[in-house]
Amino acid sequence: MVTLEKIAHLAEECRFDSLGPARSAAVLDVDAKKLSTLGEGTRHDVCASTFSPRETPLPGICHAFTQDGRCVSLFKTLYTNHCTHQCSYCTNAVNCSRKAKAFSYTPEELARITISLYRSNYIEGLFLSSGAGRDEDNVMEKMVETARLLRQKFAFSGYIHLKVLPGASRSHIQEAVELADRVSINLEAASASHMNEICATKNYESDILQRQRYIRDMLSETSHVAQTILPAGQTTQLVVGAAGESDEEIFKRVLYEYKEIGVRRAYYSAFSPQRGTFFENKKAQPLWREHRLYQMDWLYRIYHFQPGEMRHAFNESGFLANADPKMAIAREFMDKPLDPNTASFPELLRVPGIGPRSAERIVAYRKRQPIAAKAELAAMGVRIKRAAPFLKINGWRDTTLKMWQA
Amino acid sequence: MASLKIPENFLYYLSWHEDCSERLLARAGHLRAEDLEVSPHLEVARIKKMVYAVMGEAHRMKAFVRLQPLGTQVLYGFLKPRHRIGEHICDHFARRNAGIIVVLGNGSESWISLCREGKIWQDHGQGLYETLEKLKSALHGREEEETDLQDRDVEGIWQVYYDSQYCPERKNPAAFRRHMPGRDQDSAGLRLVQNKKNATFEDFLRD
Repeated sequence: MVTLEKIAHLAEECRFDSLGPARSAAVLDVDAKKLSTLGEGTRHDVCASTFSPRETPLPGICHAFTQDGRCVSLFKTLYTNHCTHQCSYCTNAVNCSRKAKAFSYTPEELARITISLYRSNYIEGLFLSSGAGRDEDNVMEKMVETARLLRQKFAFSGYIHLKVLPGASRSHIQEAVELADRVSINLEAASASHMNEICATKNYESDILQRQRYIRDMLSETSHVAQTILPAGQTTQLVVGAAGESDEEIFKRVLYEYKEIGVRRAYYSAFSPQRGTFFENKKAQPLWREHRLYQMDWLYRIYHFQPGEMRHAFNESGFLANADPKMAIAREFMDKPLDPNTASFPELLRVPGIGPRSAERIVAYRKRQPIAAKAELAAMGVRIKRAAPFLKINGWRDTTLKMWQA
Repeated sequence: MASLKIPENFLYYLSWHEDCSERLLARAGHLRAEDLEVSPHLEVARIKKMVYAVMGEAHRMKAFVRLQPLGTQVLYGFLKPRHRIGEHICDHFARRNAGIIVVLGNGSESWISLCREGKIWQDHGQGLYETLEKLKSALHGREEEETDLQDRDVEGIWQVYYDSQYCPERKNPAAFRRHMPGRDQDSAGLRLVQNKKNATFEDFLRD
């Protein structure tokens, strides 16, 4: 403990430190209509955790939640809502009949808003996307300029996620990769033919996949350098159900993204029709579809299930049911109940109701003493109701698999 | 919060719990993080629950406390946690805003932290209002000169932005309440900030 006077004196001296606090970053007045229009432009974009594995990792913190229960951790906005693409689901598309007035930020303005919100602890950082503007590469340049101002002029050390626009040049992508924690290009569709159905002006191969490969190659070229660039990697997002694609088609595309492009994560956004767009009268997709795709994603990434076993979760037309896919896979492969005292870690992971954390705990627990009762499993976080039919403890099993087949 | 992993230094969190006694702390001294994860022992389970409670509150205070600038050298905010985590939270914000004095508190106590060149300086004071007044005079009133550099209406900007992020077709009030428990909103002074137009500065400083 020191006195208040001493702290005040030390703070005054900070003005002369080489890396003093970011000064004169006060925001000017911002047009509320612009703020809300460009904010609304990104409300369907998912950014999830802001965790960034830097040298000193940035934490993932959700600073607020909206009434839809989704987390608000970043200042998520468009640079401009002016766009020349014709995506049939998007309210900024050229052919949308209810288009909002066109707005645009300047890099300085965006950087100042970000700094102010960050300092007051409303956000962890900036998520910047954009319409294509008149010239897509020119808008990309402004987005990169925003990130550069933040990092260099304002010494901003928070999180930055930049969207890469389909028409961005290689050199601007390179700069984005060097300044951001994470970059992403939205796939939107599961294949080139699905892309044709939802957007006539984007080329799946050259506008999207090719640019994802640029980023992959930039990262592999610098992987030998000690200082990590783009710590949170590249990600992507798909609109689910806008082009009539099946869950299996989406899943196959995402597997390609994980294996060939090396994306960290894929995000799914169930299609919902927006007024004035070409797809205005198209049926909204149920939100559970998005949820089931995320469960499949988790089984692949976190549980390390094999695609070969996972395909049993899809029906003949390639769709997932509104039920836990892990249960469907377990029914297919688990013909004998498992003894948690002897089962291997991957075997435990395949039991519905047991996740990676509870599987880890089971392995640690049984080294000390054998598991003798269900209550012990429950204390370790196992969801007994789901897991019991697949388990036997001391040769005893309390339900049969038949119960689940009804 | 139950998905957080118990850290090796969990004794800090335990010691900050409002119901933690010297005796309990001594009895927990020989435990390792792994014991908390898997031990079936009732007292260990209770300790684990207490550690999670403190970790959870600390995490949500880091998320929900809002700071306001007082001039360019001070950031202050309301904080009235259930557990003894005031100093810990204040240090967190000081590290995030190096070179700026961070003051958190309520009507009856306050925490002051400054991070300079990686080192933390701390003080613990009386009510937030008194501490801010003292700080103003210690800074020789320079704060007043620099009001031009102050942010204009950050809360207003936030409110417009926050409203723009809501997707009505996804409305899910249960998930909202689960993620933002009213109790934590009160501890972080969030509802005070939201109702600020109807409240006075004194309301904000009352406990």
